[in-house]
Amino acid sequence: MPCGAMAVALPAVVEELLNEMAAAVQESARIPDEHLLSLKFVFGSSAIQALDLVDRRSVTLISSPSGRRVYQVLGSSGKTYLCLASCHYCSCPAFAFSVLRKSDSLLCKHLLAVYLSQVTRTCQQLSVSDKQLTDILLTEKRQET
Amino acid sequence: MAETLRRVLSRGSAACSGEENAADVGPPLLLLGAPGSGKTALLFAAALEAAGEGRGPVVFLTRTPLQRLPCGTRAALDPMRLQKIRFQYPPSTRELFRFLCSAHESSGPAPSLLLLDGLEEYLAEDTGPDESSYLAALLLDTAAHFSDRIGPDRDCGLAVAFQTQEEPDSGDSLHLALLQRYFPARCWLQPDASDPGEHRIRACLEPGGLGPRTEWWVTFPPRGEMTVTPWHTRAGDPSSDKGSRSEGHP
Repeated sequence: MPCGAMAVALPAVVEELLNEMAAAVQESARIPDEHLLSLKFVFGSSAIQALDLVDRRSVTLISSPSGRRVYQVLGSSGKTYLCLASCHYCSCPAFAFSVLRKSDSLLCKHLLAVYLSQVTRTCQQLSVSDKQLTDILLTEKRQET
Repeated sequence: MAETLRRVLSRGSAACSGEENAADVGPPLLLLGAPGSGKTALLFAAALEAAGEGRGPVVFLTRTPLQRLPCGTRAALDPMRLQKIRFQYPPSTRELFRFLCSAHESSGPAPSLLLLDGLEEYLAEDTGPDESSYLAALLLDTAAHFSDRIGPDRDCGLAVAFQTQEEPDSGDSLHLALLQRYFPARCWLQPDASDPGEHRIRACLEPGGLGPRTEWWVTFPPRGEMTVTPWHTRAGDPSSDKGSRSEGHP
């Protein structure tokens, strides 16, 4: 869950919205319209794209016996991106540009899709070995260069 | 690790509040200063502090082995504590990545503190902003994973030392801007120019929105122990000057 004593905190409004959505989904198994509206208000077009990614089950939670986990999101272009929920990191160019360089603290659509799919419990799950998880994390590094 | 560092500094100055919650490590901390400003010594003091708390081993990452143990408080330098500090020397950025990416493969008790000295050396190896960003993210993710392994009540702290130049260049400031997104707490170390013989450093700890900025003088006398004296606590003091730092001594 995107909450707790994490280093890089989501803006309070985002955390609250996600918490409310989680509570609402537990009751009615779908995201209430008012929350969808709030999402669109806060995130603009990223919200629609993120919801689309969630609908298409594009988010996969990859975990290993160690308990460490990463998320892979299949983007609309067919490319997969790696997301680290612990520190709100995504390997996509939009993240690099808008979140870091412009110091804009809102999320890219992939990270938003990760958190929404956590809330709606629609992540695909993939279990890998500890070594495979190491490779997945390392491969990301190689792709950067 | 901001809280651990604050305890080190408070304890050193005997100005400790007494109601410290030792389990609270605080947010990841960036230690910044020019060469010789005491970053390694402070990281090492934090390592000894955490080792003394007995909550798990401390991992100290640095590119080159320390030539000698940095001076610290004599009481803290006991062999039982030193034994709990695991030094690792990743020789390259690639090896540092490998260490972080495979951190979950290790068995045994999870570290209670992860320290990295000399991040600027790894970033200087031709790393672009994307790679630097991923490295910072992995540092946080590794500490988060250790925190999960430790248990629900405690976290693994994280502190990274980054050497700044006397004259900042554009490469430096780009890296700093990236890093500051990931490290909400910062401690700036500034040598005191007014008395170079004494090798005194001003340490300014900003815990990242969770508390007031606090400052100390840290002195490294030529022989013997590092000593810490409080400088001036900012918040909560209505008469304090909240603008630029006052010049001169308190």
